[in-house]
Formats: sequence, structure tokens, C-alpha cells
Amino acid sequence: MDSAQSLQSAHAGHTAHAAGALRASRTLRSLRSIKRRDNFTGYLFLLPCFAFFGVFLFYPLAKSVYLSFQITNPRGEVAAYAGLDNYASLFASGAAFLATLKATVLFTLYTVPAGIVIALVLAVMTHAKRPAMKAFQYAFSLPVVISAGTGAAIWILLFHPSAGMLNYFLGLLHLKPVFWLADPKWALVSVSMMTVWMNLGFNYIVLLGGLRGISDDIYDSLKLDGPGPFRSAFGVLIPLLSPTLFFLLIVSVIGAFQTFGQIHILTKGGPMDSTNVMVYRIYQEAFVNFRFGSGSAQALVLFAVILALTLAQFFWLEKKVHYQ
Amino acid sequence: MWKKRKWRRRTILGGLLALTMAFAAACGAEKAGTAAGEAPVDATNQTSPADAASAQPASAEPKAEPVKVVWWHSMSGELGKAIDHLVEEFNESHPDIQVEAAFQGSYDESLSKMKTAMGSGSGPSIVQVYEIGSRFMIDSKTITPIQKFIDEDRFDLSRLEENILGYYTFDGQLYSMPFNTSNPIMYYNKTLFKNAGLDPEKPPATFEEVKAAAQKLTKDGVYGASFALYGWFMEQLFAAQGKEYVDHGNGRDGLAEKSLLADDAGVKVMTWWKDLIDSKVMLNLGRATADTKKAFVAGQVAMTLDSTAALRGIVDGVGGKFEVGTAFLPRPEGAADGGVIVGGASLYILNDRPEAEQKAAWAFIKFLASPEQQAYWNVNSGYFPITKAAYEQDLVKENMKKFPQFQTAVDQLHRTKLNNATKGAVMGVFPEARQIVEGAMEEVVNGAKSPKDALTAAQVQITAKIGDYNKTVK
Repeated sequence: MDSAQSLQSAHAGHTAHAAGALRASRTLRSLRSIKRRDNFTGYLFLLPCFAFFGVFLFYPLAKSVYLSFQITNPRGEVAAYAGLDNYASLFASGAAFLATLKATVLFTLYTVPAGIVIALVLAVMTHAKRPAMKAFQYAFSLPVVISAGTGAAIWILLFHPSAGMLNYFLGLLHLKPVFWLADPKWALVSVSMMTVWMNLGFNYIVLLGGLRGISDDIYDSLKLDGPGPFRSAFGVLIPLLSPTLFFLLIVSVIGAFQTFGQIHILTKGGPMDSTNVMVYRIYQEAFVNFRFGSGSAQALVLFAVILALTLAQFFWLEKKVHYQ
Repeated sequence: MWKKRKWRRRTILGGLLALTMAFAAACGAEKAGTAAGEAPVDATNQTSPADAASAQPASAEPKAEPVKVVWWHSMSGELGKAIDHLVEEFNESHPDIQVEAAFQGSYDESLSKMKTAMGSGSGPSIVQVYEIGSRFMIDSKTITPIQKFIDEDRFDLSRLEENILGYYTFDGQLYSMPFNTSNPIMYYNKTLFKNAGLDPEKPPATFEEVKAAAQKLTKDGVYGASFALYGWFMEQLFAAQGKEYVDHGNGRDGLAEKSLLADDAGVKVMTWWKDLIDSKVMLNLGRATADTKKAFVAGQVAMTLDSTAALRGIVDGVGGKFEVGTAFLPRPEGAADGGVIVGGASLYILNDRPEAEQKAAWAFIKFLASPEQQAYWNVNSGYFPITKAAYEQDLVKENMKKFPQFQTAVDQLHRTKLNNATKGAVMGVFPEARQIVEGAMEEVVNGAKSPKDALTAAQVQITAKIGDYNKTVK
């Protein structure tokens, strides 16, 4: 406080002298100092945020870079320097790592397009501001409040091979029961189905917001000019929605690459590693087997993959986005 | 000038605001950390007894603070309630000790937390670890062997079950006290047996008999059997044939170096398993015993394998729908004498706690081993009593009358000949090895690999993991 006061009085003295020939340069200097202090205040406001990111993001990131060059003992303590061994064995393991990568990419392909398209269809059908639509809007956005854990717990009951509802319905249609989670051919599809449903709420809300953001004039002129529902959707609404769709795509792809909860509860990566996506493998390596070294190495590879994918999407797709 | 002053005030206000926020955030984080990580540790316990004595000079009547003992366990639901009851009984009868039981999630989750807490001083006094974590706990050098307290106290070990002691005795001493023990039995639906023209009092005992029975039982949408792809069953089926799972006397004559998974014993098991599936008399429901149990209780499969600890849940779940029978684990015809391995978990005392606390922990463990408590625990959990005298308790006798099926489990345990095969394998990477075995079982069942190929690949993988582990503990 003392220093603040003296600063204040010193400053008051300065401004009292502010007259005459030096005025021009003085103004310049004080402008500069204002700017400097402006920046200072800005950083002060950012400080809590930086502190948070520092503790929960930058420090762990730096630590996993460090750990990726080490070998840890069964208690997870650093035992020896490994150099690039962790990365080398990751790529040398070939088949196992590729299987994980394949499961992750397939999972993304199964969930992202389906999740966005279904949400888009539902949003286009129900975005009108009519009271009857409220019920649909409520129902379709509901999954957003359900966590991966709860959602998976619900679906594990539906998927149960002998007592589950899905196979009961198949039975009514005289179809053979499907071993949703126990059959390696089906497990990833089953987990994807559950994920599409779970992401639907978020996708739907975002797209509904996007549709609501389009000016009423456009809807009015669509009504007047009278193109069919397909033309109005593909010719007008979707191009106008493209920033929203682009955002959803980026977020969904990142989300799909980071999926963990439902895998952990539904399949634990099995059967035969068919649902062993990258994050799950990292979890097993680091927190089940306590090999933080190779776990960290894999986490950094995943980081690089996601970064590259996101940059690629910005590079290729953003050109097609229509910003109003 | 006016502008500048206002601006300055803003700077100061802003700075203060930012500082307050940072401080609040830091506090919040700290609180969350204590709540999640090290919940039940009492600060007063961390001072050694000597400190406590000097802090409280010998007054006429020293106000003795009860020693606090924290117990991390993995018993949820009904079992958790039984644990709370035991702890309450103890605290009431021992005013100088205060035990606090804290549920830490599944065995795997709890062990992960334990690994993080080791040596940090923020861990528990007692931790419950599953049987396959034994080698790791010993090698971690963070525990005080229970044998030390047994010797000091001249605790009579002969009152405990030999078979259970057999599992937990390593290099001639007990590192932990067995607490909850179980083994796998075969559950079968007596009503379906009758309907299929089979003798409900003569359950199949060999692999071949299981197949023959399953063929008769499979009809009208009912499958003869469904066994979960659970690594524990593989380990047990090795022991049932009297065969060892790893080298060096099953890891009991020295650190294991090689997995024996692809030996004849393993190939026999998986060939039988695959044959049952290919003949369409066994339903594959994946790795979870919860799923096979559900199907059995619903009357959709006639035979299943599960832990003895599942008995109560199965009998209660079935209600009066059909009669539940229990049988020994099947083995291949003409297999050598074997038996079952003790499963379950034991209790370790951590060596980073003050001595007074460790002694108090031992007092509690001794209490848990007493016949009365073991009787209560057996009746309410379905785990075996570890103390032989518990069978003489009325509570246990009544329970046997109510659940006569439990007798099978007791007989199976008592009829097991104790040798390295039935004492069970020991290796530091057991939890991981079990995952690998389950992966191989899936490969066989789904037809991706032949039994021999799948097991050989898994054996190579496990042997490599054992090698890595041994390097870090030698």
C-alpha cells in the first residue's frame, strides 16, 4: 500500500509539471506507460487462469514429456532413463499399436458423422418455435445431462445378451440374438451406438442454436419463394450452418479420440482388443500396469495425432465454411 | 488527471480481485485434494508415540487419545455393511483404538491408490489386497510382515485353516493376514437336470461329463452351460489338474521366471471350452461373471462357474424358481490329484505408520480372526471362515442348514491336497498376466487362434512381463 501511495504522489507531481515544450513527448510517454500498465492489468486478470492451466495442464504435460523418456518400477517410481526406448517399442510393437489406432479411427468414423447427421436431421425437423416442438426439443437434448458413466450403466442393461431389451426386440422380430459386447465383431459397433446416443444431446443443442441464429428474414423468404424442404435444407440452411457444423466436427473428432468412460464400463477394451482405443490403452498402461513411461509416450503420440488432425481440418475444411 | 486516478484505482482493485481469486482457487483445490486422496488420516496420528508423550507431560491422569487405525477395503454393498458392523463391534469393545474403514473401490482401484500412497505417509494403516497382489506387496517393501506381530504375540496359527495359510505363506512366513477367502464352484440348475433326465444329485465331475450333460440340457432356448472368460478360472483349472502355472515351484521356491500357460493343462482346458462352444451347448457371455450369473439365475443356462461368495446372491436371486445345486470344479478325466486355490484377499500393515498405530492395527486384525467375528463374516458375506473354530459357532451351523449348498465349498477346500500347484501361483505381474490370459481365452473362443497358438503367444508375453518385473525388484 505504501508503495502504491508514493507511486500515486510521484505521478501527481509529474502531471503538475506537464506543460510547455515537453508536452508532446510527455503525452507520448504517458500513453506508453498507460499501455504498459494496461497490459499489466490484463495479465493480472489472466493470472488465476494461468495458475490453473499451469497446475492442471502445463505441469502435467511437461511431466509426461519427462516421464516418456524414463522407465518406472512396479510402484510407478522412475527407475532408469530410457531415452527413446518407450517410443521405439511403441512403434516396434507394430500390430498392437496399429490395432489400437485402428479401433480409434473406426470408432471416430462410426460416431462422428452419424452423431452429427442424426442431430442435424432432428434439429431441422424440430427447430420451429411452436409449443408442440418444445416437447421434442426437450426430449432430444436430454442425453446431454447424462454422464458417460450413467449412460453406459443404462446401456449395459440394454445390451445384456440374454436378459437385455435389445435382444428381446430382436427375438420379437424372429432374429437371432446378438452378443453386443462379447462378440469382437459387434463390440465396437455397440459402443458406438451408445456413444452416438450420448452425444446426440450436445450436438442437437448446438445445431438448434445455429438454426435459431439464422435470421428470420431468411426463413420468411424461404416460405415465400417456396423451395421444397430438401432444397431449403441443402441450398440455404446447411451453408448458413456451416460454421456450427465445422465447430461440431472439430469438437466431436477430438471427443471421439479421447473416449474413455463408456469403454471402461462396457467392454474394458475387449473382446480381443476390438474396443481398445488409444486413451483406454494409455489408462491401462499407466494406471493399471503402472508403466508411466510408455503410458506417457503413448499420450504424447495421441496428442500429436489430435493436433495434426485438428490442423488438417482447419486447413482443408475451413475454406468451405461460410461465415456471414 | 481524473481519468488517470480512476484508472489507477481500477488497477489496484483488479489486482486485488485477481489475487483473491487465485487464493480462493488454491484453497478450493487444496480442500478437494484432501477429501479425495487422503480422506481419513488424522493429523494427531502422525506424531510418533514418543512425541505424543513429550507433548503431554506425565500428569496425574494422562488423557489417552485413542489410536486411530485406518483400513482401506474393497467390500461394497452388503459386504461393506458387514465390514462396518465388525468395525463398530471392535470400536465399542476397544476404547483405546478407533478403527475407521474406508471403501476404496475395486481391488484394482484400491491397489492403484495404494501404489500412489506408498511412502507418502498419507496411506492407511491396514490395506486389503487381493491374493494375486501378494508378490507385489511383499516386493514393495512398504509393509511390516504380519509374522513379526504373530511371533511377538505368540499368536497360535494352528487355529487357522491350513489351506488358507498355505496360500499366504511365502518363504516360511506370513506377510499378511488372510481375511476373506473363497474358491470357485460349479452351480447347476437341479430342476433343469431333472427335466433333461439327468440325476440332480450326481453333478458332472469331469470335462467329459460336463459336455455330455450340457448336450442333454441344451434345448428350448436353454444352454447347457456358460462360463465367464475369467483368468481366475484358468488358474483354478490348472490347480484342479494338479499343475503349476509358473516355473520355480509355481513361484514359491524362488521368483518365477516363466509362464507355463501353454502346457498341456492349459491346452486341455481351452480345447474343452472351445468344443463346448462349437457344439453349441455353451453360451459365451464374455468376461464378466455378473453376466453368466444373471443368465443362470434367469434359468437360461443350466451350469455356470462362480465364486463361493456368489452363493447367497444366486440362491436369493433364484428364489423358488428352481433348485440350485453346487458341485466341485470339473477336471479332465484321469487328471492328477489337484484341488482349488484359495482366492479372495488378505490384510497388510503398512510400515510407514507409527509403531503404536501398527500395534493397534494388529489388535484389530486379531479381533477379525476370532471365531465369533469370522462366523458373522462368513454368514453375511459367503466367504470362508479362516478360523476353524468358527464352524462350531451356532450362527454358522444355522446358516449351513439354510444354505446346504455351502457345504460343497467347504468340502472342496478341505479335500484339496496342499502342494505348490494348489497353493497357487505367485508372480509380481499377476493382475496383468490375468488380463493377457483373458485375451487369449477370447481369441480361442472366437476362433481367431487355436488353443495352442493363443496360449503360446500369451505365455511369451507374460514371461516377458515377468522378466521386466524381476529386473526392477532384484
